[in-house]
Amino acid sequence: MVEREVVDGSVREWRSAARTRAGTPRGGAGARARLRLGVGAGLLGVLVLAAIVVPWLWPASEQLFDYTQVRRPPSGEHVFGTDQAGRDLFVRTLAGLRVSLLVAVICAVGTITLGTVVGAVAGFLGGWPDRLLMRLLDTVNAVPHLLLGIVIVALYRGSLTAVIVSIVVTHWTTVARIVRAEVLSLRRRPFVDAAISGGATRGHILRRHILPAVAGQAALSAVLVLPHAVWHETALSFLGLGLPPHLASIGNILSDARSELLLGGWWNVAFPSVLLVLTTLATAGIAATLRDRLVPRRRSELAL
Amino acid sequence: MLSAKDLVVGYRRGRPVLDGVDVELHPGATLGLAGPSACGKSTLAAVLALLLEPWSGSVTLDGQPVRGFRHRAPATQRTAIGVVFQQPRLAVEPRWTLDAVVRAPLVASRRRDDGIVAELTEAVGLTRELLARRPHEVSDGQLQRACLARALVLRPRYLICDEMTSMVDASTTALLVRLVRSVAAEGTGVLAVSHDDALLEAWADDVVRWR
Amino acid sequence: MRETSVTKTSVTKTPVANADTFTGTRQPASALTVDRLSVRFRLGRKGKAGIVHAAADVSLRLRRGRVLALVGESGCGKSVLTSALLGLLPANAQTRGRALLHGPGGDLDLCTAPERRMSRQVRGRRIGLVPQSAASHLTPVRTARSQLAESMRHLRGAASRSDVDALAERAGLAPASLDAYPHELSGGMAQRVGFALALAGEPDVLLADEPTTGLDRALVDHVTDGLATAAAEDTAVLLITHDLAAGRRVADDVAVMYAGRIVEAGPAGDVFADPWHPYTRGLLGALPDGGFEPIPGHPPELTDVPDGCAFCARVPDAPGPPCNGDPEPVAVGGRLIAGHVPC
Repeated sequence: MVEREVVDGSVREWRSAARTRAGTPRGGAGARARLRLGVGAGLLGVLVLAAIVVPWLWPASEQLFDYTQVRRPPSGEHVFGTDQAGRDLFVRTLAGLRVSLLVAVICAVGTITLGTVVGAVAGFLGGWPDRLLMRLLDTVNAVPHLLLGIVIVALYRGSLTAVIVSIVVTHWTTVARIVRAEVLSLRRRPFVDAAISGGATRGHILRRHILPAVAGQAALSAVLVLPHAVWHETALSFLGLGLPPHLASIGNILSDARSELLLGGWWNVAFPSVLLVLTTLATAGIAATLRDRLVPRRRSELAL
Repeated sequence: MLSAKDLVVGYRRGRPVLDGVDVELHPGATLGLAGPSACGKSTLAAVLALLLEPWSGSVTLDGQPVRGFRHRAPATQRTAIGVVFQQPRLAVEPRWTLDAVVRAPLVASRRRDDGIVAELTEAVGLTRELLARRPHEVSDGQLQRACLARALVLRPRYLICDEMTSMVDASTTALLVRLVRSVAAEGTGVLAVSHDDALLEAWADDVVRWR
Repeated sequence: MRETSVTKTSVTKTPVANADTFTGTRQPASALTVDRLSVRFRLGRKGKAGIVHAAADVSLRLRRGRVLALVGESGCGKSVLTSALLGLLPANAQTRGRALLHGPGGDLDLCTAPERRMSRQVRGRRIGLVPQSAASHLTPVRTARSQLAESMRHLRGAASRSDVDALAERAGLAPASLDAYPHELSGGMAQRVGFALALAGEPDVLLADEPTTGLDRALVDHVTDGLATAAAEDTAVLLITHDLAAGRRVADDVAVMYAGRIVEAGPAGDVFADPWHPYTRGLLGALPDGGFEPIPGHPPELTDVPDGCAFCARVPDAPGPPCNGDPEPVAVGGRLIAGHVPC
C-alpha cells in the first residue's frame, strides 16, 4: 500500500505501516460492531413500531371472541393463526409485546434510578451508610428473584404496579453494585481532591463529577435490564401471577397456549416465542455494542 | 501561618508513614521539601492541603485549629490552600474544557470572576484556543499550566506543590516555577515538594532534605 | 541486495544526513542508520480528518559503544521513533525513508521488514526496549525471576539459575530481590527488572524510551549509568528523553528534536557547551542551573507544523545565529544544524 503525493514537483511515496500483529484488532471489527448495532437497532425499531401500530389499527380484533374462527392455523387471513377463542394471534401477540415492552421500559428506568441512587450514596459516603445499604443488597440477592417477585405479585394479584415493583425490587441490586464500584474508584481520584480543595461540597462533587462519570455505565445496565424485565414479566404472567388475563402480554399468551400445544396448535406458542426471542436478541446486540464502546480506550491511535 | 505539630500519618493499618513531624509554612516564604520516592513527602503535602486526615497531631491555619479534613474542613479553610498535583492528567475532569477546569473552584464556591481567570491564564501562557480544548487534546505540560491556574484562581494564602514539575519538560517547569515565585513574592506561603534537589535549590528559600 | 544498492545511492544524494558527520577520529561501527525517516498519522475513519506529522526527515546514526540522546519537549514526535524502529506503528501510520539495521547478514530496513522477521529476529533479539514505566510491563502474578527466566529461555534457548542471576547483576539488581513479585518491588527496582528484560536477548541496539520519567534523581542516575554500562559493553544505545540533565549525564552524542524534525545534532560535549540552535539554547536555559528561563509560547501542533524554521515561528527574535529558514539540517564542523548556521 503506497500513497504518492507531489510536493514542489517531486514525488513522495508513503508506505502504510499496517501489518498484522498478534494483539491488534482486525480491520473488520469496527464494521462488524456497527453492523451488529445497526441490525439490533433496526430489528428493535421494527418490533416497537409494529407493537404500537398494529393493535392501534385493529383495536377490536385483539379481544374479539369469534367462535367461527376458533383454532385456525396461520393463513392469509390470520398470519399468526387464531387461538381457542378465535382471537387473531398476530394482533394479540403484538399487543402483548406492547404491554411487555412498556413494562420493561418502566422497570428499566425504575431500576437504574434506584440502583444509581443507592450505589452512588453507598460508594460516595462510605462508612456505615455503605455497610447498611450493601447488607440490604445482599439480603435481596439472597432470596431467589422469581420467588421474591412471586411473593410481591401474590400480595397484590393482577396489579400492573405490583408486577413493575417486583421487577424493580429484584433487579436494582445489579445496577447498584456496578455504580458503587465506579464511585469507589472515582472518589479518591486526584480530580476529586482538587474539587474538594476548591471548596466544592459533597453534593456538588456528586452532581458535577461522580454522576456524569457513572451515567454511561448506568445507561448500559439499563439496556441490559430490558430483556431481563421482559423475561421476568413473561415468567410471572406465564405462572398466572402477572398481568390480568384480559391484558394481553407475551406471558399471558404463552400461558394460554400451553393447553393448545397438546391439541396441535403449535402457532400459539411459536409466534409469541419468536417475537420474545427477537426482542431479547435485538436489545442484547445493542447492549453488547454499547458496552464495547464504553470500555475505556485510547482516544486516538497515536503513539506520540 | 500554616503549621502542623506532632503529625503521625499512615494508611490503613501498619506503621505510620510520618511519625512526629512538625512543619511551618510562612506567608511569602517558599519551603522546599526534597527526598527520594516513598519517603512520605507527598503524604505531608496531602495533610497540609487538608486532603488527608492524620492519625494524630494538629494542623493550624492562621491561628485557627483545623478540626476536620477533606469535606469536613470548612470551605473557607480549604479554599485558603491551593494544591497542584503530580499528574495533571489524573487531576482534571476528563470531560471538561481547560477553561471549565480553571473556573471550577469559582463555580464551586460561588464566587465571581473579577478578571483573575484572564490574568492567570495569561500568566501560565494558555491561549484562548488552548482553553477551549479538552484534556486529551493537550500535552501534560499544557494541562499542568491549567492546574496551576486552577490552584491560584481563589487567591489562596498558601500553595502546596506536590511534585508539580515531575511530568513536564524543562521549559514548562521554568514557567510554572516563575509564576509560583511571583505569587510567593506577593505573600503566598508555598510548600514545594520535589525529588529534584537542583530544582529546589533554584526555587525555594529553604530546603529540607529527608532521609 | 536491493536494499544495499538503494542505501548507496541515497548516501551520495544526501551526504548531509547520512555521511559520517560526527568527525571523531576512528568511528566505531554503525549498528543502526535512520535515513530521512518520516512518520505521519492519518486521523479519522478514512484518514480525512487530518494528518499528524510526527517525524519529518529524521536521520540518526547509532554506533556500537555510544549513547545517543534524542531530546525535545513532550509531544515533539521523538517517542514515535521507538514504535517505528520496532515495527509497532498503528495501522493508520505511514512511513517514508529507511531505518537500516546493520548486521553480519546485510542490512535490514525496519520500515519494510516483514512481521515474521521483526518478531522472530529483531524485537528483543537485535533491538531491546527499555520501557517508560517498567512496573506496568511486568505480569503481577509472577516473580521477577520467572519472567526473566522465561524471556531468556525464549530468546536464548536456555537459562540456568546462574544465567538469570548474571543478567540481573548486569542490570544492577541483587539476585536476592528477583524472587519478589512486581508489587513488592520499588519503582527503581522494577525499572531495573525492565532493563534486565531488555538485555535478555543480548541485543546490539537498546532503545530507552523516557526511562527516567517520574523517578527521583538517584534512580535517574542509576538508570542512565546502566545505559552507559550497556554502551561500554559494545551496545548502541538510543536514549529518548525530555530530561536534559539525564541526557547530559550519559550521552556521547545528542540530537535535539523540535516539531518532528532534528534541529541540531553532534557530540554531546560540543552541543551542550556551545549550542547553536536557539531551541537548544532555550532548553538549556530553562534548566534550574542554566538560568531557569522558560521558552515563550507553545510548540506547534504536529497537525499544523509551519513551513521553514518552526522554532522561528514561535520565537522570532531568539538570540543566536540568524535563521536562513531552511528546516533541513546541514553539516557544519562535525555537527548538524538546521537553519541557524553560525558564521
